[in-house]
Amino acid sequence: MNINVRILTKSVAQQYAFKRIVTFSTKPTQQAAAAAVPQQQEVTGSTVRRPIVPAHYRFVYPEFLPDPKVEWRNTIREKLERLDMLDRRRQIELPEFYVGSILAVTSSDPHAAGKTSRFVGICIHRERCGLRARFILRNVIDHQGIEVVYELYDPTIQKVEVLRLEKRLDDSLFYLRDALPEYSTFDENMEVESLEEGAPVPVNDIKVVLRPRPWLERWERQNLLGVANIEQYIKDKHRKSSEKAQKPWEKYDLMKQYRATIPEEEQKEIFAEVHTELHTLELQRKRNKRKRTFVKPKHLA
Amino acid sequence: MNQADVSKLISQLRIAVRPNKRHLKNVDGPEGRLLKLRKTVTALVKHERIELFYNRADEARGYAELLISNAIRHGDRHKATMELADYWLLEKQLVHKLFKVLVPRYENSNISYTRMFKAPRDYPGIFYRKSVLELRGNPFPVLTPDNSQNRNLLHNVLLDEARKEFRREKLANLANKLAAETENATPSTPAQVPVTEQPEQSEEAPKA
Repeated sequence: MNINVRILTKSVAQQYAFKRIVTFSTKPTQQAAAAAVPQQQEVTGSTVRRPIVPAHYRFVYPEFLPDPKVEWRNTIREKLERLDMLDRRRQIELPEFYVGSILAVTSSDPHAAGKTSRFVGICIHRERCGLRARFILRNVIDHQGIEVVYELYDPTIQKVEVLRLEKRLDDSLFYLRDALPEYSTFDENMEVESLEEGAPVPVNDIKVVLRPRPWLERWERQNLLGVANIEQYIKDKHRKSSEKAQKPWEKYDLMKQYRATIPEEEQKEIFAEVHTELHTLELQRKRNKRKRTFVKPKHLA
Repeated sequence: MNQADVSKLISQLRIAVRPNKRHLKNVDGPEGRLLKLRKTVTALVKHERIELFYNRADEARGYAELLISNAIRHGDRHKATMELADYWLLEKQLVHKLFKVLVPRYENSNISYTRMFKAPRDYPGIFYRKSVLELRGNPFPVLTPDNSQNRNLLHNVLLDEARKEFRREKLANLANKLAAETENATPSTPAQVPVTEQPEQSEEAPKA
């Protein structure tokens, strides 16, 4: 062991000396670093722990995975985008949220200098990836349905709060546009409903009641789980056409699924790259939260 | 820009995948296309080596690879994988073959499970390209030519030269040893001199 340590210190010293001399070339230093790492592992023992990326990261940070469309892939651009995303996340807290969660976004507007606006609504859709990731918030204000599209990494966004963290039964909630207004009405002064730490994100299995036809989309064809009364408004012809439009073979079309996703090995590589940074940011957020919990009560007993 | 679908985890394929699917013209649309490919995948699992048109083979190859990789990943206790196998293998005894023969065969492999070759097309005939699709580790004789005995290949040339050199060295050692022995036997006559002189003489002879 002692001999090992001695050899290591010697070799490390040599490497550092080498580094100091050759500062203009990156390649030999990289090689030296690569050579140094396994030696250190030998010294510390066989139980070297690598950063293990939790499995839920792909749900929490889906925008870190690139677009699976091969023609649009560019590994260098993707990597640079990831660095930019981490930079932005260091500036602003972008919490975990899902379609169906209720958010409050505070943003500034170039046409109203020095002012900010806060919009509360339910997230009905998440799309795009990388720096272009965006989500749609919906609320009913003064009997008027309002939807705002926010880009997650938009620098004009000043604060994103998750008022209620939950999921719904469907992947996107566009059917709220055709539902009764009470299902997308949320109080602007809603308070944050905090979840227990480590608890799984609850799934809200609420069934939405739709208005009568005409609808914006043919909801009867989409096999929605979160809608209660589709049967009430459709006729036999709709039933027949929706049956015809079904694609039951798609769940067996393996290559289609493969082309729509990023393979596991690649996902691991990507998340291993950003994991440590995201983890430290998460810990920081938790610490801040704990500080925030000691707030003076509003109503005194 | 779409988000990647993260609901399922799929292992990376070890083959080159085209960015888009081939439609494989079929009157029944996508369902008919899949039926065509199911027949191909079933035949591949059953016979382990099949000859067919290139496009269809290339399309079916990805499905066969994913079917095997899913079977390896989830095993036969996983309901969704069992449904997949039931859909893709039209002959049901092949489901047993998939889980009991192919999964153990490929469990520890780090290359693709299938292999594809371009095959010659018959003339005059249908103009489509043909190919041979096979599972790795099948019991049939290999299709690739065996180049290990080709004397003109570089590695064989080098091996031959090395062999020759080794033999030469051995002979030289033997000669030296013999010379040393003779020297020991008759210490009065120098043994090494004639050995070195002999080649000189032989060299001089042709010159003269």
